[in-house]
Amino acid sequence: MAEEANFKCLRCGQEFKLPYDPKAGPQERTCPKCRSNSVRRIKEQKK
Amino acid sequence: MMDVGRHPRIKLFVYSEVEDVSGYVGNFKVKVRKKARYVDENECNACAECAKICPVVVPDEFQMGFSSRKAIYIQLPQAVPSAYVLDMNACLGNNPIACGKCVEVCDKKCIDYDMQDQFIDLEVGAIIVASGMDVYDPTELDEFGYTRFDNVITSMEFERLICAGGPTTGHFIRLSDRETPKTIGFVQCVGSRSERRGNRYCSNICCMNTIKDTVLLKDHYPDIEVKVFYMDLRAFGKGFEDLLRRSRSEGVKYIRGIPGEIYEDSKTKNLILDVENTTTGEVEKHELDMLVLSVGVIPRQDGDLIQKLLTLSRTVDGFFMESHPKLKPVDAPTRGVFFAGCSESPKDVKDSVTQASASASRAGILLSSDRIKVEAITSVIDKDKCTSCGICYQACPFKAIVVDRKAKIPAEVIEAACAGCGTCGAECPFGAVTMKHFTDEQIFPQIDAILEENPQDKIVVFACNWCSYQGGDNAGMSRLQYPATGRIIRTMCSGRVDEQFILYAFSKGAPIVLVSGCHFADCHYIDANRWTQKRVEKLWDKLERKGIRPERLQLEWISAAEGQKFAKVMREIEEMRQKVTPEEIEHTKKVLSDWKPKGAKRRPKKAEVKIEA
Repeated sequence: MAEEANFKCLRCGQEFKLPYDPKAGPQERTCPKCRSNSVRRIKEQKK
Repeated sequence: MMDVGRHPRIKLFVYSEVEDVSGYVGNFKVKVRKKARYVDENECNACAECAKICPVVVPDEFQMGFSSRKAIYIQLPQAVPSAYVLDMNACLGNNPIACGKCVEVCDKKCIDYDMQDQFIDLEVGAIIVASGMDVYDPTELDEFGYTRFDNVITSMEFERLICAGGPTTGHFIRLSDRETPKTIGFVQCVGSRSERRGNRYCSNICCMNTIKDTVLLKDHYPDIEVKVFYMDLRAFGKGFEDLLRRSRSEGVKYIRGIPGEIYEDSKTKNLILDVENTTTGEVEKHELDMLVLSVGVIPRQDGDLIQKLLTLSRTVDGFFMESHPKLKPVDAPTRGVFFAGCSESPKDVKDSVTQASASASRAGILLSSDRIKVEAITSVIDKDKCTSCGICYQACPFKAIVVDRKAKIPAEVIEAACAGCGTCGAECPFGAVTMKHFTDEQIFPQIDAILEENPQDKIVVFACNWCSYQGGDNAGMSRLQYPATGRIIRTMCSGRVDEQFILYAFSKGAPIVLVSGCHFADCHYIDANRWTQKRVEKLWDKLERKGIRPERLQLEWISAAEGQKFAKVMREIEEMRQKVTPEEIEHTKKVLSDWKPKGAKRRPKKAEVKIEA
């Protein structure tokens, strides 16, 4: 099963999870709330 | 096919695979692997003595496994050339001590166990991709009982059973008892038009194939009862509606509903179908002797390899994407490559022949001239600035840039292969790549002009020529209302939108910048817009590090047909613009005040920009 990562919509601010494979190339992502493509992956803070 | 084989100017490579393709339009170099067939095709006269004596029997793939063949065989009756081939995976005679009977019996001495694959290098000017399609395997649709019930077959298997050259010489039988069925059903859209399983798209050919099959059955067996279970019947071509009428007039029953479940009577091996007839709204039971699943078509499994060899792009369905759906429907995005048949989309014989004729004409036009004209929107590399880092080579979707990193030989653009997306120009960190048209010297002044007065009231929009810009045009043509604060800068591809254009716009007081391009599957430059996304993602991080809200850089994929979406996006971004405070804009300008163009690339001063009439 594909790993999931946290994403944030830079249009409406919605946060959500989407499948994410760091080895795969860029994917067209859409915000489930506002359908915007300005979707940014929230990177985990380094400890 | 015989005519093709005999044609003096057509060289046919059968039992061969393309190993490698390099070069560009007019100068492709193709390496072909001609697989060893272990039989000299020039000497073999297809006498069949070898097959008669061969002791190895394996399922015949051409007959869908309904009959058998020998290890030495002809793939299909009309094979060109008409010569035998040895299946070395099945043959016992690889070691002559084990068998070798075919060698003994061959008078022409044309069987050679030591034959090796040959590699042939070709130089060609144009390439037509006619790699065909595969057929959907309905095993995963368990409710139809394919492989569980003997008398459930696919439409491809039906073709073999009804064919005069098939395993039963055209006597249609059911598999459980070899009797001619009295009732037969066809289920449409198996593996097609489904969101859950199979494929979402319509396979185009299945409806007419089934209608043709029902007419064929009624011609052969007038008393047979035929039922077709369907969602919609798509008989839209020339003469298709007539054939449907003929099928109906001959007594074929068309029932609007797909079976939910199929059971088998263990004694008779008959099939019982539960179907909701959506025309009457009633659940019906139908008992049939045999059921044919009208399976859809799927892209070829080796499509990835062909895509890689020829730098092609594919739609979300997996078929190869044409350069332009209306204006260049048979051209690939890579210049000099054309499509014919189902490699591009599911289509019937007539459409395939039409497309093949068009492709042959397009290739003929190309080859008939010594020189070709290409659009002047190509990139140029400044060899003094180029460090041979190879980033432009990696970014080019068309492999139109050559560079020798080890020898530090500067990159060079093959203009005939360059499509002018501008991704190399945007990615080059040293400012060594400039574009002919859509130059930096043209784009910076547009940003200046947009933000010259009241920059806080403007949204800088970068839109690609093929989709987003056309989407804006569509919104205008449709008289859709959207705020007038957006100012569009057109580029051929969103891949051209350099990071420095965006930073420059922010440094000049732009409250919001929107980068828009084609949807991933629609990119006219294969995968150039993937580079746009990567670039924007990096910029979001960069802006955040500089204390600038990343929300002020927006990204959107808008197709030419999405005027509604364009208007909606502009309305949403206008709301965002109104929330950007003057203090925020001033802070951004201050943060970016020390911003300089990347590498040695120099942003022209306004005074230096000359506009020639």
